[in-house]
Amino acid sequence: MIQILSGIQNTTAALDAERTRLDVISENIANAQTTRGPDGKPYQRRIVAFETALQQALGSHQGAQTTGPQVARISKDTRAPIQVYEPEHQDADARGMVAMPNINIHEEMADMIAASRAFEANLAVVKNSRAMAMQTLAIGKR
Amino acid sequence: MSPLTAIPSNLQAYGIMPRAGADGADVSRLPGIQSATELGESSGVSATPPTGESFATMLGHMVADVNTKQNIAGEAVGALQSGQGVPLHQAVIAMEEASVSFQLMVEVRNKLLEAYQEVMRMQI
Repeated sequence: MIQILSGIQNTTAALDAERTRLDVISENIANAQTTRGPDGKPYQRRIVAFETALQQALGSHQGAQTTGPQVARISKDTRAPIQVYEPEHQDADARGMVAMPNINIHEEMADMIAASRAFEANLAVVKNSRAMAMQTLAIGKR
Repeated sequence: MSPLTAIPSNLQAYGIMPRAGADGADVSRLPGIQSATELGESSGVSATPPTGESFATMLGHMVADVNTKQNIAGEAVGALQSGQGVPLHQAVIAMEEASVSFQLMVEVRNKLLEAYQEVMRMQI
């Protein structure tokens, strides 16, 4: 098949990866106050790690392989939960301390800015690629 | 004889049609750049016989390609709307790709028609 927008495969992979990162950040923010998970422990912050993956560009000439990012794994942040004194809380221990998730909302917001900027950059690549294709097609116009 | 049989060799001579085995990733081997330097000593315009598939077959492949892209875009949008976990950007990129390849097809058709009309206007 003709590859009309070249390099778009990598950008799509990057957009997928950044989307996953944003999803994980949203999960972290949504669970910032969750004191009890399925295992009875407070929610643990999730971290996304990317890796490069070889991609066979569709319809390209033989041997033309490019590398795009993909999500390698979603791991848990092992930092200790934040202890808050809240004796009336359902999950409070004998001393009245509640283990809150190890999530710092400012950290998550900063991560979210980074992820959304990276997403935006990849969208700009798509836009530019399209603009280049359209400008090239306009060569034939009079 | 079809009036358009000579076009493939012309296209190839001017580097419009990529040659077989050209690697898209290697800029120095891009057909356009290569033949632009060769153009001065061009002896191949009339000498090279049309190789491989005919222009009509090529055009047919291209139309089929555009149709496939349109179908892919349609499927992506359908999957997105029925909530099958297709990300938004994939559907939009598929649509863009379909739209640009359609534009390319329209441009090729316009050029063909233009060439035909030019020939028909010729004084005999």
